[in-house]
Amino acid sequence: MTDAVAANGWLGRLRPAEWQLALPLTLAFAAFFLAPLGLLAAVSVFDDDALTRAGFAQWAKFLGDPFYWSVVGDTLGLGLMTVAATALVGFPLALVFIEASPRWQRILLFVIVLPLLTSVVVRTFAWIVILGQEGVLNRAIVALGLSPAPVRLLQTEAGLVLALTQIEMPLMLLPLLGVMMRLDPALRDASEALGASRWRTLFRVTLPLSAPGLVSGCLLVFASSTTAFISQSVIGGNRLVYLPLVIWQQSLVVYNWPLAAVAALTLLVSVSACVVAISAFGRRIGGAPVGVPAHG
Amino acid sequence: MSLRINRRGFLAGTAALGAAGLAGRPAFAKGSVTAAIYPGSWEEAFRGIVAPALAKSDGVTLEMQPLYAVDQIAKARAARGQPTFDVFVLDPGPRVSGIDVGVFEKFDPKKLKNLSAIPGGLADEWGVTIAAQVVGIAYNPKKLPAPTSWEDLLKDPWVSRLGLTGFQTTFGTVSIIEIAKRFGGSETNVDPFFTEMRKVLSKVATIGAPQAMAGLFQQGQCDVLYTNTQTVSTLKGRGVDIEFVKPASGAVAFFTTMHVAKGAAEPENAYKYIDTVISRDVQAALIKPPWNFVPVNKEVTLGPALPMKSLDEMAGFVRHDWSKINPLRASWIERFNKEVAK
Amino acid sequence: MARRRTAADLSYALVIGGLAALAILILTGPVVIVLLTSFTEGRSLRFPPTGFSTEWYQLLFDRARSGQIHRAAGNSLYVAAVATAIAAVLGTLAAVGIARRGTGWARALDTLFMSPLILPGIAFGLAALMYFTLIGLRPSLDLIVLGHVIVVVPFVLRTTSASLSQLDPALLESSASLGAGWFYTFRRVTLPTIAPGIAAGAFLAFIASLDNVPVSLFLAGPRSDMLPIRMWGMMESTLDVRVAAVSGVLIAAVLALMLLMERLTGLTRRMSS
Repeated sequence: MTDAVAANGWLGRLRPAEWQLALPLTLAFAAFFLAPLGLLAAVSVFDDDALTRAGFAQWAKFLGDPFYWSVVGDTLGLGLMTVAATALVGFPLALVFIEASPRWQRILLFVIVLPLLTSVVVRTFAWIVILGQEGVLNRAIVALGLSPAPVRLLQTEAGLVLALTQIEMPLMLLPLLGVMMRLDPALRDASEALGASRWRTLFRVTLPLSAPGLVSGCLLVFASSTTAFISQSVIGGNRLVYLPLVIWQQSLVVYNWPLAAVAALTLLVSVSACVVAISAFGRRIGGAPVGVPAHG
Repeated sequence: MSLRINRRGFLAGTAALGAAGLAGRPAFAKGSVTAAIYPGSWEEAFRGIVAPALAKSDGVTLEMQPLYAVDQIAKARAARGQPTFDVFVLDPGPRVSGIDVGVFEKFDPKKLKNLSAIPGGLADEWGVTIAAQVVGIAYNPKKLPAPTSWEDLLKDPWVSRLGLTGFQTTFGTVSIIEIAKRFGGSETNVDPFFTEMRKVLSKVATIGAPQAMAGLFQQGQCDVLYTNTQTVSTLKGRGVDIEFVKPASGAVAFFTTMHVAKGAAEPENAYKYIDTVISRDVQAALIKPPWNFVPVNKEVTLGPALPMKSLDEMAGFVRHDWSKINPLRASWIERFNKEVAK
Repeated sequence: MARRRTAADLSYALVIGGLAALAILILTGPVVIVLLTSFTEGRSLRFPPTGFSTEWYQLLFDRARSGQIHRAAGNSLYVAAVATAIAAVLGTLAAVGIARRGTGWARALDTLFMSPLILPGIAFGLAALMYFTLIGLRPSLDLIVLGHVIVVVPFVLRTTSASLSQLDPALLESSASLGAGWFYTFRRVTLPTIAPGIAAGAFLAFIASLDNVPVSLFLAGPRSDMLPIRMWGMMESTLDVRVAAVSGVLIAAVLALMLLMERLTGLTRRMSS
């Protein structure tokens, strides 16, 4: 569609103008992000803490150690689990949201942004209260007879994913609602009037049309949860090791900046690769909504 | 001609305005000093006691930047030669790192008027000791009997209520060394700690981030841990059920030191500030609740909350040589990640 | 013709309703705990709290005893406001520039603009401090603003891009073919569609800036004390209940803002009708 516009003579002039819109941010990034990033890359190719001998020793150490590979895997895994969990409960909440009355929508919106309004500092304390051995959740588990004794939740991957689900859910829901609120309700009604069940309407109409918002939300949640150092280290404790902890230890405790830079760049590259993959997947499902015109 | 001068004057003026806007350090008429300080109770104590004292004695304004010791070194190192503060406050580990990476100005103890009031050996060419920290075991007396030794931490009933922290902090590192020593290790050999820990690892209640330990202890996630007396007194003052125990082999002491930053904007005021910190009246105020500092000034009368009756007892506390520990710390942290955390 | 209620519809209501309820529980649970704790009579953070009192809120608003917190909060709000404004403008422009384009360059830029979210804050903070020192800039509040703009721009970009994908190209075409200039088209066609996306992104950016620890830590100079860093100190060494009260204040402020906006939009609706 856009290519057709571009090929269309004088209309094509819109295109260079639009390109220029990205210029200010590109320049800002070149000056204040790419330059420090380049510095980080430069630091990573020194062998020693004092940055006197150039070499790839720290890269070799990091990439040659299966332990660090497993840390990279765990970090990406944590991101994927958090994305899955936030999407699993977040999308249904978005469905309820778009069918609610304007008054309820305002109340729900407030509920959705609530996690953002409690600082990370005190939020971690709340999760200690909830996930602890004598915590709220364990009391519920024992009272409901799900387990005879309290189970370990704090400092487990499951507990951490639950905590991250709370804090990352607004990042999933805000872009998702931005898109879903603009879907034409007539589409859903039409689908159901034609005899489709609500499930079928969900998977064939609503979900494909919401894909751009869902993908945006997934990207934000994935990127944010893989680098959530404070939540990871306080709620996950030091039983679980993720890349941000390694970066913190190496840069601030033992001052091995080259190794810290290697870990940071590895995290950047591996998470970016996942982000690109998620975007591509999103374009595939979002680009071809099944049997529905692009605009209602 | 006059136009050119005016234009140059204008340019210089603009540049100065721009520089004033960008440079963080505000210019004070009467002189100031910017000191890095540990966030939390240290900063509150210094704001309440040291700042007024410094203003009164020397007319110098104290500005503080809340930063942990490790952050101070990293920040000074990244800002090579242009520190954002004039004075460091550090534990022994970061102190040795600071000397290694060259972020301190050479220190001249003779510039301190109060030098004679602190025990010999606490000031050197790099800085001066301004407080001590005494590390031992803290436990919840409502939940557990009192442990008596480092070994007890790895035995029941304590081990299943233990809150373990790693080598990131000074108190964590010295405590692990002491545990290792009880099982045949030494200052440079913590292997026995890992060997013994592996046997009981599944029982350990919590392996926490140091920053979270107070909250974990408060909510009953662990009931025994290693920490310093100051933390114990402060939490106790806040109504937390916590008591300090000196292990049978002796509590561990380490010193908190202050250093003048290389490239400091106000080196003279930095000395005045440090001198104020070790002065008798300031130290006497700092040891009182809720601050609970362990002083270094010999003229200060010690209170009942402190772990010793006189400063001479410090000689009996266990000390460590951080110039030997620091080079090993990276490998210890890595080993902790691999063997304890996973 | 009313459709028959089927078993499928019932299962839909149960499953979707159940998951949504779970989402609400997860969203609100920790916040409820923080709020309950903030009204404790006790001397430190503890759950369940003992008694009920507003003393911690009174202490928080006490100018003499919480002056440092006020100063830090002022700095944090200033940085968040300025950084969000800059990020919203730059991010929206960039999103309009690159969204909807399938070219490799656009995708590469999109990935680049996302990366500050992925690079851990400590690494970016340290590298930024090294770089700014190198080019002669000293740590200060302005430098924190600059760092925060970079770190929060991805939020604006993502949410705006998502809204842009709903913009009908046919609308842009017809607007342009009717001779409307680019800015006119942007203001009358593009902006109304993407406004919710920009607003959502700006809100996320504001909060991300307000809660940022690592970038502020390294780019702060003297007298650029930031709230979350101060709160860490209060939490770690003294379990100060004021950290919970700060959240209570923020929640009340946003609630008041939302009610006010509801009143205002209600008012305009009545006036226009």
